[in-house]
Amino acid sequence: MARYGMMIDTRKCVGCYACRVSCQMQNELPVEESFIKFYEKETGIFPNVKNEIIPVQCQHCEDAPCVSVCPTKATYTTAEGIVLVDSEKCIGCKYCMVACDYGARTQNHETGVVEKCRFCSELVAEGKQPACVTTCISNARIFGDLDDPNSEVSRAIVRLNAQPLRPDLGKAKIYYVR
Amino acid sequence: MLETKLSRRGFIKASAATAVLASAGTVGFNEWSKEYVKASANTKIKEIPSTCNACSSKCGMVGHVKNGRLWKLTGHPDHPYSKGKLCARGHGYATVVYSQDRLTQPLKRLGENKFEPITWEQAYKEIAGKLTQIIKEHGPQAVALTEDPRASGKFYSPRFINALGSANYYTHHVVCSNSRDAGFLHTVGVTATSADISNAKYIMFIGRSYGDGIRPSSVQSLAAARDNGAKIVIVDPRLNNTANLATEWLAIRPGTDLALVLAMSHVLIKENLHDLNFIKTYTVGFEAYAKELAKYTPQWAEGITGIPAADISRIAIDMGKAKPKALIEQSWRGAFGCNYENSTETGRAVAMFNALLGNYQQKGGSIFGVKPHLGKLDEQKYPNPKEPEAPKAGKKEFPLAYEGSGVATIVAKEALEGKMKAAIYYHSNAALGYGNPKVMKEAFSKLDLVVAIDVQMSETAQLADYVLPEVTYIERDEVIESLSGKVPGIALRQQMVEKVHPDTKPIHEIYTELAKACGVGQYFNFSLDELNEAKLAPTGITYKQLKEKGTIMFPAEEITIGEMPKVKTPSGKIEFYSETYKKAGYNPIVEWIEPKVSPANDSFRLITGKQAIHSHTQTANLPILMQITKDYDLERIWINPVRAKELGIKDGDLVEVKSSEATSKIRVKVTERIHPEAIFVPSHYGITSKDLRTGYGVGFSYMEHVPFDFEKWSGAGNIHEVIVKVRKVNS
Repeated sequence: MARYGMMIDTRKCVGCYACRVSCQMQNELPVEESFIKFYEKETGIFPNVKNEIIPVQCQHCEDAPCVSVCPTKATYTTAEGIVLVDSEKCIGCKYCMVACDYGARTQNHETGVVEKCRFCSELVAEGKQPACVTTCISNARIFGDLDDPNSEVSRAIVRLNAQPLRPDLGKAKIYYVR
Repeated sequence: MLETKLSRRGFIKASAATAVLASAGTVGFNEWSKEYVKASANTKIKEIPSTCNACSSKCGMVGHVKNGRLWKLTGHPDHPYSKGKLCARGHGYATVVYSQDRLTQPLKRLGENKFEPITWEQAYKEIAGKLTQIIKEHGPQAVALTEDPRASGKFYSPRFINALGSANYYTHHVVCSNSRDAGFLHTVGVTATSADISNAKYIMFIGRSYGDGIRPSSVQSLAAARDNGAKIVIVDPRLNNTANLATEWLAIRPGTDLALVLAMSHVLIKENLHDLNFIKTYTVGFEAYAKELAKYTPQWAEGITGIPAADISRIAIDMGKAKPKALIEQSWRGAFGCNYENSTETGRAVAMFNALLGNYQQKGGSIFGVKPHLGKLDEQKYPNPKEPEAPKAGKKEFPLAYEGSGVATIVAKEALEGKMKAAIYYHSNAALGYGNPKVMKEAFSKLDLVVAIDVQMSETAQLADYVLPEVTYIERDEVIESLSGKVPGIALRQQMVEKVHPDTKPIHEIYTELAKACGVGQYFNFSLDELNEAKLAPTGITYKQLKEKGTIMFPAEEITIGEMPKVKTPSGKIEFYSETYKKAGYNPIVEWIEPKVSPANDSFRLITGKQAIHSHTQTANLPILMQITKDYDLERIWINPVRAKELGIKDGDLVEVKSSEATSKIRVKVTERIHPEAIFVPSHYGITSKDLRTGYGVGFSYMEHVPFDFEKWSGAGNIHEVIVKVRKVNS
């Protein structure tokens, strides 16, 4: 059984939003709702300036607080480590939104369900890549099996010493190169 | 899958509304997954290869259509520009097919912002009547046609205007790459080379930003170059979004790029790092140029550009050492497409710098692409229109401009002078995008006939006498697109979904029917399929095969690295000295030229550029893209913190931007990423057409501040020759 995760090389991210729009179309989200948020961090003083762009979505934490706080068990973790929401069980209480350290959950105002990145589980089930990975114009995103030491994502994480965004906050499965 | 998901969502929505716990009596995720797998196995998702229309790159893409509705897109894996990827615009622009603000039937103007729907028959009859009358009274040279060219337009638009006897065909390049095109054309014989980025060791971009004006394969190549350890230098008054992939930012004073290139050229020669063999074999006029370059020292350039002389020397020397795998990227609009009075000469100097490096047709250098060998319509059966007698308007004033594009704003100028009487705009928002909107509006008001062919009520359409509604690119087949490059190829745009609005038509039908009404139908006596079959004939590929694949490349025709093609200049060589320039009354040698205007201590230069999510003004009305602007306040202007502090301006404050032409109100982003002399405004906003309900009222258009002007060499719009003052205001 695979344990899916992702690596994002922020040094390659140009902040183009292709992942956001591709994700919205894949998941048929309302335009106001996005599973991917972008944070910019500017450092230095003109003309010695650096601008870091950090795309953030559900980190599919192994110890996901959104799973443990969900009163109806609508949020759960699959055997492959993907954190999903059963929209049939979601009552829209937003407890998960408060619990998530990454602000990764959004409420769908059309349905009331509190949603989030699903690692495009139905595409993954077909052996394909999540939409954000497929479309990433600089190949900044790599997706795959973290348990397979030979997978592209595992090798890249080791090679580039990628780290979770906030290792202090739990066991996230998206690794960042910064 | 969608149906399943939608119905489920619909159920939850209803549940939520009635406060019923959604968990009761419904299927769980696992059952649903199984249901989905079952459903998707039974419901076929059609995958239709086509080409994007969100920008001029026209990347290959695949439309995923379910139950007759476009669901999503993926990049075409074989297309050289997309290579399996699409940018945000590429994904989002496709939603235009379902836009609430589509044009749905032909319209006739009754007065300011007043239109009545008419039939196509009436539209054709009246437009043809007026065109015929104007041509009879003023000659065909009083009629013009302008477009932002796409595959069908490139074929049909010039043919249509030529059929009417006029040579007046223009493109949007007057505010895109007219300067670069002219500079390159008269130096290396083509309006643009391409670049072998992934193999380059030293790459300089001047104003060009792969991360903002995106072609996905270019970004992939640049990321690959960086992985290979290439040096990547960005020359830009603003730290653009490609910066993450760069190794160095030269925060140049806007409008002084020419001085930088001249000084780097000076250093190359002084340090004996130019490729003398290449220069001897493939160029003319080197001695004269070298003589002129003697005075352009790095110290001189430091005073003009603000870039330390030591950095200029270091970079030039390192590029010289890395040659021929070193280059200045050819750019599009960038810093020398249409921006400054010196832009054409900057373009020329860039093409020459690459020649000094001897990087043409070298691995990691500049590349002359090859075109595919396509067929033509049989002229016996399908006669071509006669060559128009009068030359293209603007050719006399701007003999150096690339004739294929022309100088589109000459139409407005001649309208104001009473010479131009009719103008047709296809897929072109000239009234907002090409020149100062007040001047353009005034010019349009002088014309006896303005026709706009578009998918939405653009500012240009609003000023037109007749508006003809086209189907979107998602709903039409087009002429085969030829792709030139290292490997040539062809791509086909094709219909993905049925017409959404029954009274809209594809452009080839509109031209064919309008030509008939104008009495020149004999030049359009073929179908689109016949035309495409004729184009394909020499390739051995069938139309059916192309329709299935969408993009087909010809690897057997790949260029040979190291083999210089014949240079298409008058001398047959790369020209450091241009007789063409001399004959036209211009300096045959590049020299330093000051920008037309310069900011004072209390003012700024207004500069503009692209954002990755938008294209020209055509995407501002799409909710899926405009929402990103709103979420991240992307319409704001950028100001340097030192200047902001002097003016008492804080991040997020509302300010007034005032130029000789207009006054705008906007919020500011205070950022170290911008040169103190410049205000940056993204170039996609300021929609004034109230019929574009999403785009209307967001931000302002830089063009409102640009004085109506022509750059002396290429006729380009001088869009950065604008001085503004900024002050804080209360809302």
